[in-house]
Amino acid sequence: MGKKNIPYYIFLVPAFVLIGIFTYVFTGLTGYFSLLDWRSLGQPGEFIGLQNYYEFINNPIAMKALVNTVILSSLFIILTTVVGLCLAILLDIGSKAAGLFRTIFLLPLSFSFVISATMWVWMFAPNQGTINSLLRLLNLDFLTQPWITSTQQSLLCVLIVYIWQFSGFATLIYYAGIRGIPQEQLESALIDGATTLQKYVHVIIPQLKGETIGVVTILLFYALRVFDLVYLLTGGGPSLSSEVLATYMYRVTFNQNLFAYGASIGFIIFLLAIGVMVPFLYLTSGRWRR
Amino acid sequence: MKNLGRLFYYVATLLATIFYLLPMYTIINVSIKDAEDLVYGPVIPARSIFLGAYLEAWRQISQPFYNSVFMTLPATVISTFLGSLSGLTFYRLKFKGSNLLFFLLILGFYIPPQAILIPLVRFISAIGLYGTIGGLILTHVSYGMPITTLLFKNYYESIPKEVLEAAEIDSGSILSIYRHVILPLSLPGFAVVSIFQFTNIWNDFLFGLVLSRGPSSQPVTVAIANLKGTTLAAWNVQMAGALIGAIPVLLFYLFATKLVIRGLMAGAVKG
Repeated sequence: MGKKNIPYYIFLVPAFVLIGIFTYVFTGLTGYFSLLDWRSLGQPGEFIGLQNYYEFINNPIAMKALVNTVILSSLFIILTTVVGLCLAILLDIGSKAAGLFRTIFLLPLSFSFVISATMWVWMFAPNQGTINSLLRLLNLDFLTQPWITSTQQSLLCVLIVYIWQFSGFATLIYYAGIRGIPQEQLESALIDGATTLQKYVHVIIPQLKGETIGVVTILLFYALRVFDLVYLLTGGGPSLSSEVLATYMYRVTFNQNLFAYGASIGFIIFLLAIGVMVPFLYLTSGRWRR
Repeated sequence: MKNLGRLFYYVATLLATIFYLLPMYTIINVSIKDAEDLVYGPVIPARSIFLGAYLEAWRQISQPFYNSVFMTLPATVISTFLGSLSGLTFYRLKFKGSNLLFFLLILGFYIPPQAILIPLVRFISAIGLYGTIGGLILTHVSYGMPITTLLFKNYYESIPKEVLEAAEIDSGSILSIYRHVILPLSLPGFAVVSIFQFTNIWNDFLFGLVLSRGPSSQPVTVAIANLKGTTLAAWNVQMAGALIGAIPVLLFYLFATKLVIRGLMAGAVKG
């Protein structure tokens, strides 16, 4: 086998050179940069150990960004999964038009974050925005909200857009899962006198474990890199109320040229991602299918 | 009880549909309004179809739009092709450390861009590709490798190993097997992976933001973001620009829905 397989090994070379350099070497470099004194354009300065990390821990903005990241990422995963499952059940109940509605729910996924953000900035605009205008037209003025202009609501607004963008993906996976359940099982449940609600709660949902793992696996990818919608919708504001680690890292690195401090934030984001993904991949490997 | 359930079903479906479509209604409605009509806000339907905003938006983003085309097409083709090779190796061979390598590949997929951003910008500058489309192509190909490899490996699982083994005995050369056996059998796989990659690369914002400089290398996403934040009077231009930028991927979603869905499911159903 040995010699014959050499071309197969050659096939791996581009992937491993590129992933090796662009992912692993660069991550290592970020870790190295984070130990330096490097606060302006130009070459990195001397080694200062963990000082950038002390600065991070003692900086209230950094802590706020960390907390916001954890809140946004975890609520994004939980709520997107739940909304996606509910929509899949709606599709399953009214299966006549399921194809049309599935496409409608999936459309937001086709938009880049820039386009979703453009839409939603004007959905949320307090005076001219769609939501408040609609509420006023319906004489529901008391329901109007300041949305992204409020420190209380900015993070919630970002969360809503993330859910809007990705729940159709969860719906797609769950709907395929529900449709894949053998018809006999559902019929025997109905013969036993189960209501529609009981059918879903007791027969269908327990069988969707594989789908849930699949959905969460993909959502984690996006949850660990929340940046774009925050940057584009609120820029982390107002008054840093929606700042997450990634927007904070971008700001200190590319606007303030604090490269080493930015690298330490980048490395903390890396450690968080590894801390979540290594156990997750370990626990779920080999269990992708029911 | 039965009627109550039915009512709940209709109300829930209606609300969900409004939630999904309202932003899209907003963007289309505003993009076809002229300056006078904009005063009536985003909800009241446009009185007539005005295309001036599209012309103005196109004037501002046409160059970035072409940049995106010249960035996305080569990056998609290269990363799909390379993924089809490395995916084949992972499908065909079990060697010492292959599980570890595969794990590192999957893990690499999850490492957020912030962890590599500073060395990336320095590296791309050092090799003279900062502010060029070439730099963006190289970056997108590199970060596309894990997912294209994974998608192809999963796709190949549907080809029986015996087919490959028989071909290996028959012809011997792996390159000719790739061309005459793997390639014809995996054309749908190529379609699925290319559409998946096209979507990711076309829609990327962050790499374009940090690696491009000015209109000569800026991808369309970055140009649309810059249309933002001008005056209120120009929000029809923003909306029109955003819609123009959405069109290529939207076409895939509307007219190649099945292939898009296969790509999305392939990533989730089996990791």
